[in-house]
Amino acid sequence: MSVKDKGSRRANASPTKEFFIYMITRDITLTRAIIDLVDNSVDGARSMRPDHNFNGLSVRLEIDKEHFRIVDNCGGIPVEIARNYAFRFGRPKEAPVTPGSVGQFGVGMKRTFFKLGRRFTVSSTASTSRFEMDIDVDRWKEDDRPGGAGEWQFEFANVEEDLSGVKVDETGTRIEITQLYDSVAESFGLESFITRLKNEMSLAHTLSIDSGLAITVNAIPLLHEPATLFVSNTLKPAFIEKIYPSEVLSGKPGTPVRVKLFAGVSERNLHDGGWYIFCNGRLVIRADQSATTIWGASHDMRQYHPDFAYFRGYAYFDSDDASLLPWTTTKTGVDVDSPVYRSVQQEMIELSKPVLTFLSNLDKERAAIESGESKEQPLSSALTSSKAQRTEDLAISQTFDAPNPAPPPPGPRMQRIQYYKPADEVQKAMQILKVKTFTAVGEKTFDYFMQYEGEE
Amino acid sequence: MAGTYRRINYSLRPAKAVERKMICEAVRRLHPFGKIETYRYVGLGSVYFSDFQLFHRELGMEDMLSIEKDAHASECFEFNKPYKCVTVDYRPASDVLPGLDWQSKTIVWLDYESKLNETVLSDVRSVCTGACSGSMLIVTVNAHPERDPDEATRNEYNSDTGKPFSLDEYRLRELRNRIGDCLPPEIKGRDLRGKGLAIISRKLLESTIAEALSARNGVLRPEKRIASRQILNFRYSDGALMSTNGWVLFEVGEQAKLDACSFNELSFVRIGEEVYSIDVPCLTIKEMRQLNSQLPRRGVDEVTLPGVPKSDIERYAELYRYFPTFAEAIFT
Repeated sequence: MSVKDKGSRRANASPTKEFFIYMITRDITLTRAIIDLVDNSVDGARSMRPDHNFNGLSVRLEIDKEHFRIVDNCGGIPVEIARNYAFRFGRPKEAPVTPGSVGQFGVGMKRTFFKLGRRFTVSSTASTSRFEMDIDVDRWKEDDRPGGAGEWQFEFANVEEDLSGVKVDETGTRIEITQLYDSVAESFGLESFITRLKNEMSLAHTLSIDSGLAITVNAIPLLHEPATLFVSNTLKPAFIEKIYPSEVLSGKPGTPVRVKLFAGVSERNLHDGGWYIFCNGRLVIRADQSATTIWGASHDMRQYHPDFAYFRGYAYFDSDDASLLPWTTTKTGVDVDSPVYRSVQQEMIELSKPVLTFLSNLDKERAAIESGESKEQPLSSALTSSKAQRTEDLAISQTFDAPNPAPPPPGPRMQRIQYYKPADEVQKAMQILKVKTFTAVGEKTFDYFMQYEGEE
Repeated sequence: MAGTYRRINYSLRPAKAVERKMICEAVRRLHPFGKIETYRYVGLGSVYFSDFQLFHRELGMEDMLSIEKDAHASECFEFNKPYKCVTVDYRPASDVLPGLDWQSKTIVWLDYESKLNETVLSDVRSVCTGACSGSMLIVTVNAHPERDPDEATRNEYNSDTGKPFSLDEYRLRELRNRIGDCLPPEIKGRDLRGKGLAIISRKLLESTIAEALSARNGVLRPEKRIASRQILNFRYSDGALMSTNGWVLFEVGEQAKLDACSFNELSFVRIGEEVYSIDVPCLTIKEMRQLNSQLPRRGVDEVTLPGVPKSDIERYAELYRYFPTFAEAIFT
């Protein structure tokens, strides 16, 4: 405590910059920090094109051992917004909201700057203004002059306002981060890191890419795979839509949260099976196979299992007021305790049950075919005759629809026996019995035993 | 047009024999790092132990370990061990490699017959985590594009994916299933035609090595960090297309030793994407003897042999020092 504060009845609780930077950069991975920057571009695109047709808009990232650069043509940051909101840590209540925004917490962009390197430059051109900023992070941290940068401010290098005649295609933001931290530079030099980044980014922004946004990493365009579910005459995925009014969620009037849920079967893939959760178009949970969504005893459900590799569930949460959505600040998970998520989770569980029953029956049916117990396969046929369709093209159906499993074959109830015997002895038995399969060896030897010993 | 008698005798795998001798030649060059006879050799010997025989005879290696996952046939392997100094470990490589004592300089040849998969990448990671400076890692994988599958597999593809069968997409799905998320998302099914799988396999091995070394180096002083230098990039086909890559692992502070190995003096050494194809012409012993008497020489234009295509002569002139001679012999 300094001398001039002597006698003050207040204890200083303001954070130091050093601590603040340390803290906010620890709880996010490098790939996620970069994807956060793309979120800002997506928000720009959304406010530019409220119809969400992003054709012609692009986000281009260049990443190597020396520098990181992201350039978009998604409308730019107006000086007014930059001056008062965009560079603040945390979103002030009075900040104007982009309806349906992805950037919600007012921390992403700065967190990424601090995570990556010691120097960043931002230049942005909006419809009527333009600015440039060039910050040396070490100098900014040390600068504690009262009224100076010590007061948690970044200085513009150049500002132009009240511009006219700026063409729409000239607007956009360019961010460059240099003097990268050693570990960051090391990762940026690894092909495997770039692959991981591209994979995560194309998943996180599947819906934006689908709407026409071009995202490139080192000049390679990201592809995406739209969400699909199998549909046929006899197999139909479940779909429900719910609206949660703002009054119920936050106690205040406002825009509601709309939720769309799909559950059904899709491409068989152990790794990709599970639930997918999107908030305002941004994927926050991918192929969840844990209790976070529907799986396991805590929900009175079975654990995820290889039989369920066909299962897919998609949950889309959308709201103009992004603060009502159940995402975490790193956008890598959901707030499982939030009332809206808990309610939707119940719906997800109910929606999934018939799909999982179908998949379990499918497995039983296949086992019965394999063992020769049964020849009917209505479930496999339904699957084979179905086609993958994009979720947004699906006809409305409330519940999962699938054929009933084949009735058990007539005759007495059957029991399967399985055992191991030395291979050369089995071969010998095969010769003596004059049969060609192991199954036949088992059946014939059993029949032989029963013929002599089975009579009471 | 060459007749059927010019076709390769697949049972003898001549390209594999050439590859083995070339690898032996490359290993010999590692002497600036230490005496080759003190190196350890770790291989996947199979029942023939051809690599073990060659490296013991030619390089004098005495510390030799063969990894053989088929424990049921241990009797057969123990019988076929060519020398007392060869030991066989009957566990999968993924169990053996992490537990090896990596103090001694090691030549590891992961000579798989399968295609690149997560197990291969994980084994490569194990070697890169342990191997000391002056060691060499060689990886051989099958890189033959998947053949058009039978009706049952096509139907399974159809019911698994909900899409009509496409060979390109089928190949991509198979590769994804084998290696998971390591695959760059821009790779398409048509990239896997022809030599495509070989090119991608090499890239994936390279990026796995870079990642494993990066993790290991993060806590080391700059001169102690381990770097990798590719020296081998072979492709050959004794039936299926195979791809072999070899890297020297060395401490950054020992760059001078690496330079002293003078790998560039070996005609088959390739340090980048460029491939050395081992393309073995099929010649009779008499033809080879006739050609040998005219070799070595700078240009092969004057080398002649009646009835043998020029291209075969050229290929032979390139390989003759490593050429296998298969002859019928009676041992008494």
